[in-house]
Amino acid sequence: MTAVSFIDWASLVALVLLTLALLVSVVRIIIGPTLGDRVLALDLMTVVAMGFIGAIAVRTGLTLYLDIAIALALLGFLATIAFARYILRRAGRDAQ
Amino acid sequence: MIADLALYLGGVLLVAGAAFSLLAAIGVVRLPDLYTRLHAASKAGAVGGGLVLLAVALVSQDAAVSIRAVIGVLFLIMTTPVSAHLLARAAYIAGYPFWSNTVQNDLEVEPNKIPPHQ
Amino acid sequence: MSAAFLILLMAFIWAAITGNFSGLNLVFGGLVGGVAVMILRASLRQRGELARLRHIAALTGLFLYELMASAIRVALVVMRPDITAGLRPAVVAVPLSVKSDAEIALLANLITLTPGTLSVDVSEDRSLLYVHALTLASPEALIAEIAGGFEARVREVFQ
Repeated sequence: MTAVSFIDWASLVALVLLTLALLVSVVRIIIGPTLGDRVLALDLMTVVAMGFIGAIAVRTGLTLYLDIAIALALLGFLATIAFARYILRRAGRDAQ
Repeated sequence: MIADLALYLGGVLLVAGAAFSLLAAIGVVRLPDLYTRLHAASKAGAVGGGLVLLAVALVSQDAAVSIRAVIGVLFLIMTTPVSAHLLARAAYIAGYPFWSNTVQNDLEVEPNKIPPHQ
Repeated sequence: MSAAFLILLMAFIWAAITGNFSGLNLVFGGLVGGVAVMILRASLRQRGELARLRHIAALTGLFLYELMASAIRVALVVMRPDITAGLRPAVVAVPLSVKSDAEIALLANLITLTPGTLSVDVSEDRSLLYVHALTLASPEALIAEIAGGFEARVREVFQ
């Protein structure tokens, strides 16, 4: 097998695995049961989506996708921080 | 020859990263409480995403792209524990329950804390 | 000696980021690096930066190894058919010997990414770090592992 066709197969396998990972994390978003669990699953989903974009970058050879992947990682991090602060604030409000 | 080797290694890292991502997702569904789920998401998730970015760095064979991918990995390694820690702390202060089989809980010894930053 | 080394290193990083290893670009990177080293000279001189760099490298090496080990361990736990049998989750209060904010933050992040541990909170007087363990053997072993491993290395880096 040549290196190029190996990369072709590897990226296809990776895309299948990452698709499964996305689907499985959606299960946790649906069943919850708490807000924290859903935020956690969403955070994992952005990391998996970042991996997905990376795999597409490898498959197509368009390295511009890499910048999108890094931007997505940044977005996921900020979203999780905002959600964590929201959970804290809501807990503080309920306590009062 | 070296270039081919980088391609093969990149392909292996790509599949390994995707497998770790899938295992992280399975862990998030199967583990019993939020705190144990955070273990799966923060460790396996960060390694999965990082390995895929490293694969991009190897396959691209372009120094500019590789440096950006490595910076992306560093960013991921730096931010994942921060978000996991924040989520764990918020969940604990908001009173999310621990799994009933938790063997030791030193946090319960402390009196209830009032969340700061209000 | 170390200033020349830093300038050379920066020239290479510059060439790598701009994706152009031509002589002119390397010289330009070296010039930019030289200006940066001149500006930062005072703060570089004050500490034994080479010894510090070595400590940082040792910490990074240990960390990358532990990160891979922790991902594999979590993967093994997740793949068990009877998942709850392999779990012994616990929250352990680990006494801290490092005091500054930067040290505690670095230590907490390192702990989160190492096998079976996740930092949850710091007590208000900063003497205790609450660590959530996925598969606890014994609290004493966990405390000894953190104190002897990362905490000692973090102290070395910040001295």
